[in-house]
Amino acid sequence: MTATSPRLEMLDIHKSFGPVQVLNGVSMSVSKGEIIALLGSNGAGKSTLMKILTANYSKNAGTIRVNNETVEFATPRDAARVGIRFLPQEISVFPELSIAENICMSAESKGLVQWSDMAQRAHTVLEELGFGHLDPQTLVHDLPVAERRIIEIARALEGQADVLVMDEPTASLSETESEQIFTLLRRLKKRGTSIVYISHYLNEVFEISDRIIVLRDGTNAGEFDPKSAAVSDVVNAMLGKVAGAMFEERPPLPASAPVVFSCKNLNLPDQIENVSLELRTGEILGVFGLIGSGVEVLGRLIFGAQGRPASGELMLNGDVYTPISPLKGKQAGIGFVTAERKTDGIMADMSVRENLVAAFQSDFGGRVMTSPPRETAHSLEWIENLGIKTAGPEQAIRLLSGGNQQKVCVARWLNPKVKMLILEEPTRGVDVGARKDIYRQLVAFAREGLAVLVLSSDVEEIAGLSDRSMVIDRGRIIAEFGSAATPGDLMAASTHKNPTA
Amino acid sequence: MSNTTQNPSVMKRLFGGSGVGTTVLILLVFYVLLLVTFSLLSPFFMTVRNMTSISSNIALIGLMAAAGTPLIIAGGLDLSVAAVAGLTGVIIALLHAAGIPIWIAVLAAIGIAVVVGIVNGVLATYLRLNPLIVTLATMSIVTGVSLILTGGLSKPLIVDGFNWIGQDRILGIPVPAILMLAVYIGLWLLMQKTHFGRYAFAVGGNPDASRLIGLPVDRTQIALYVMSAVSGAIAGTVLSAMLGAAAPNAAGPHLLTVIAAIILGGTSLQGGRGSVWGTLVAVLILGTLNNGLTLMNVTSFWQEVTRGVVLILAVGFDGLRQRVA
Repeated sequence: MTATSPRLEMLDIHKSFGPVQVLNGVSMSVSKGEIIALLGSNGAGKSTLMKILTANYSKNAGTIRVNNETVEFATPRDAARVGIRFLPQEISVFPELSIAENICMSAESKGLVQWSDMAQRAHTVLEELGFGHLDPQTLVHDLPVAERRIIEIARALEGQADVLVMDEPTASLSETESEQIFTLLRRLKKRGTSIVYISHYLNEVFEISDRIIVLRDGTNAGEFDPKSAAVSDVVNAMLGKVAGAMFEERPPLPASAPVVFSCKNLNLPDQIENVSLELRTGEILGVFGLIGSGVEVLGRLIFGAQGRPASGELMLNGDVYTPISPLKGKQAGIGFVTAERKTDGIMADMSVRENLVAAFQSDFGGRVMTSPPRETAHSLEWIENLGIKTAGPEQAIRLLSGGNQQKVCVARWLNPKVKMLILEEPTRGVDVGARKDIYRQLVAFAREGLAVLVLSSDVEEIAGLSDRSMVIDRGRIIAEFGSAATPGDLMAASTHKNPTA
Repeated sequence: MSNTTQNPSVMKRLFGGSGVGTTVLILLVFYVLLLVTFSLLSPFFMTVRNMTSISSNIALIGLMAAAGTPLIIAGGLDLSVAAVAGLTGVIIALLHAAGIPIWIAVLAAIGIAVVVGIVNGVLATYLRLNPLIVTLATMSIVTGVSLILTGGLSKPLIVDGFNWIGQDRILGIPVPAILMLAVYIGLWLLMQKTHFGRYAFAVGGNPDASRLIGLPVDRTQIALYVMSAVSGAIAGTVLSAMLGAAAPNAAGPHLLTVIAAIILGGTSLQGGRGSVWGTLVAVLILGTLNNGLTLMNVTSFWQEVTRGVVLILAVGFDGLRQRVA
């Protein structure tokens, strides 16, 4: 490996978005026929680094070298031209076109389509990958997910890819399907293709990669040889020092606290499988899961935003509860704070006051008319209580920082009728100061009797905040911990890929 | 972030940001300029006779655009409103000819408008069909029905105690204008002072967020489709009273002006932003423009071209506002 110089090097890459430094001198390299695994928890900088490599982002400083020559990419096509291809987590194929059309789809095609030539080329690539049995005329629409992934890889190779960057290529695949992909990766490796493999499944990473590169907070946090390294060392490198100061110690929940919400065997086809959980008055239950694990669906399902579940027995405040719609969920006593403030959290053009009273607006004013003075009084109270930084209740909410918008989104549910508050990624895109505020306040509300369900892909958040925590993967709860759970425990549970039933 | 404009803060102040008050103000200034220009260009413009004639015409457009404004604010769109106005006149004339008392006939016609509104609303919300296509289709259906019922001919409609709503004046002000003003005040109260109005802004501003906080998204929109159809029916009633006849296609040519007025008035096609007063001033501007051009002997053919240009300008104005805000 040392004899041949690397095919691709990224040296001392810096990148910031506004005042936020995302990459602070990251380096990586990959040689011909090498598979490297790129690891790091949320926000470590993996995807930013790869977006710089494929010229979707520009870098602030640093060097990219391909075959020992410094290159500058202006557009993604420049990167593709020197043989760098990125396969995103979401498989992107054209389902209504044939395998041949998908594989031969490239920006370089010009003029008339040569059907016979195209089928031949597609067949050659598939043969080489060990999938010669696939008929190039088949519509991609009719293929299972794993084979669509293979078509995507074949397309990259037809376009002369020398470096393949794959983001979570097995996230939506079963164990046996993943094996198919691994077989293919080994073949590619023999052929001399370099692969950058991003995955959170550590057992996969240890199985397939030649070298593991760990990023943390925009810097290199370690490099490991999978043949000799211990899994725990890699996890520690990913997590770094645990941020203890963020969360305050608090007394354990009294054992007598009554159950507010329970669900048994909750199911939503292809997304949530047999989830059972219980939530008590004053309790914060955290559910940790990586993106695509079901963590982004579970809360919505319970609230009613996914419509009626396929099956499951749910109880809320001692009554049978069926999630149907957010309106019914709200009436039953559930509040819901979404992960995506901009797209489905705030009404950007409306004021802080209008956003803050939106969920229980009819509590203010009469049956028909609104009462702005009462709304203002209520808003001022919560602006004060939660320390929302705003010019006043009449300011447009879009002018507030992410953290302060989030506080408004939480405040709109702080109503005596709400017995259970579900929060998705409560501090995504929220600065450290506001984050600490939000944690402190959630704990305070819980201690006043609110049941809080937090769903997050931020492992430290779940470990630090929860009285009890669970880990979700592929729609199933795969582990449960008490208040003493560490980020390492949760991460270890979720990074072990369990065979699917 | 926006390098399209040199000074975003100034543009923001001019074109909205926190509200549409500034837009309305700009439009008012423009309106005054228009009045001054035409008075200088034509001696017939600033006369009582001409002004009352303008105001009756304006009232028709204004009535059709009235409830369209809250509907677009809430993220909907109604192209069938002018067709509904035409059908209303036809129904009134036919029922009256069949011996049914005139005001019962008016109520029945409004009832039919309600049905059209419900159909528009249900198709656009529960079935998630594109409102542009849905109301284009109902526009065609409703126009067709009017033509079938009348054989394409005008029906006379001169009835004691009816035509005054289109022809008389109270204190010198034409009744249609008074009616229009009443409708606008009602809608303004609805949008600014009621829970329903707040829902309309929220639903148009961010439908996903509104659904997730448990607001009645579909019901709000359906109610607004019904209101839009009803405001079309009121316009149709006034129009047939004014003309003393029901012509199936009398209101059709006004549709473009109606939509142009709503957009020019600062209501965002993206939803979530707008005001009925903006629409009203825009109606005044467009009505005055038409009248002024007629007085200056610009043919109606050229006025057609002008209308299209104004619509493009209005949409461009809306696009600019979106980018700046």
